[in-house]
Amino acid sequence: MRTKIYLFLFLILCGFNVSAQEQKMTAAEISQFKEDVNVVAKKIKTLSTDFVQYKHLDFLSKDIETSGKMVFKEPALLQWQYKKPYNYSITFKNGKILINDEGKKSAVDIGDSKIFARINKLIVGSVSGNMFDDKEFTISYFKLKGQNLAKFIPKDVTLKKYIKQIELTFDKEEATVVQVKLLESSEDYTRIVLKNKVINAKIDDSVFTN
Amino acid sequence: MQKSTIQFLLINCFLAVFLISCGSVTKNYTSKKLDKTSYTVPYFADSKTDYVYKTNISVYGNELSGIFIAKKINDTTHRIVFTTEFGNKLMDFEISENEFKVNSIVSELDRKILINTLKEDFRLLLKKQYLIQEQFENETSDIYKSADGKRDNYIFISKNDQKLEKIVHSSKTKEKFTLLFNSENNIFAEKIQIIHQNIKLKIELNYFKSE
Repeated sequence: MRTKIYLFLFLILCGFNVSAQEQKMTAAEISQFKEDVNVVAKKIKTLSTDFVQYKHLDFLSKDIETSGKMVFKEPALLQWQYKKPYNYSITFKNGKILINDEGKKSAVDIGDSKIFARINKLIVGSVSGNMFDDKEFTISYFKLKGQNLAKFIPKDVTLKKYIKQIELTFDKEEATVVQVKLLESSEDYTRIVLKNKVINAKIDDSVFTN
Repeated sequence: MQKSTIQFLLINCFLAVFLISCGSVTKNYTSKKLDKTSYTVPYFADSKTDYVYKTNISVYGNELSGIFIAKKINDTTHRIVFTTEFGNKLMDFEISENEFKVNSIVSELDRKILINTLKEDFRLLLKKQYLIQEQFENETSDIYKSADGKRDNYIFISKNDQKLEKIVHSSKTKEKFTLLFNSENNIFAEKIQIIHQNIKLKIELNYFKSE
């Protein structure tokens, strides 16, 4: 009897899953979607947004939740500022990573590190949404309810060791990124939800320091 | 000739005894009658709790920070993961009294000496039960000695509130590394420090509540 109930529940859940499932885009939809995103991304000179980060590890009972603010300024100034539950900021600036860990400041030179340069480009790209580079990634495109989804699988072997797949979810109307999901394996991932996005407000260079 | 050899041996013996007593870890403690034969550590014992700590590691002047996660996955084993603040996994271990498995480690940290050091540190940090052979005391703590292979662990329990405050891992003559605990309720440690005496390595863990 109990098995039957479980089976029933399982089938219901499966049913929900199917209805919420992503649908592959057609070739025409893909080119329209890419164009929409590129038009918006090109207009982005500055961007600031609140974010909530959920670290999911398969064996934990709860995701680890941290949150803060992200600021980006063209062409490559980027800062992630964690405010809760601890103060920690990481700034990418002129080939350097500047860190402020609860007031303790440090800097790392990444000028020569190709992997860091690539990760930096990837983060900037994923926030602005402009990373449809077929040379770097195998990309697939899906439709969701009110949203679009692009999945990027790195072609580079080194990068692949760190990130198995990146998933960007876009708001269909605004064509901007609302969620970034970095998958390390099928069980473990980091999901970053972006909200209260402000585009092209004036941001001073002096913000980008530790 | 023979006389001087005996003298030489005697002096050596004295020297040896002197050095041992000088180097002995327990030299500042007073021996005491055993009041228990085993001690169970309260921290990291609950299989329902995700133990999540902001971590700072200082190693030979270099600073590293990230998030330390420990979870008891069955009766004998803990899973330990260390990630960056961004969430990238740097190390992923499974550890018990007798088993140790590296699930993954980034190539930059994949060094035998580092892995073995962390293995020793974490094994002691997560060890649940100690069998006690000797007992000492100083002004503030009851000190229990527990054999650990060729080495010993000294467990410091505060006389004031019976909290586990410190574990010293030591050879017969020298302290190797020390675990320091700060705990409000003696069930959960909010702050933990792992300090090495023979290498310049210090690991500090500060518990944080996820939002």
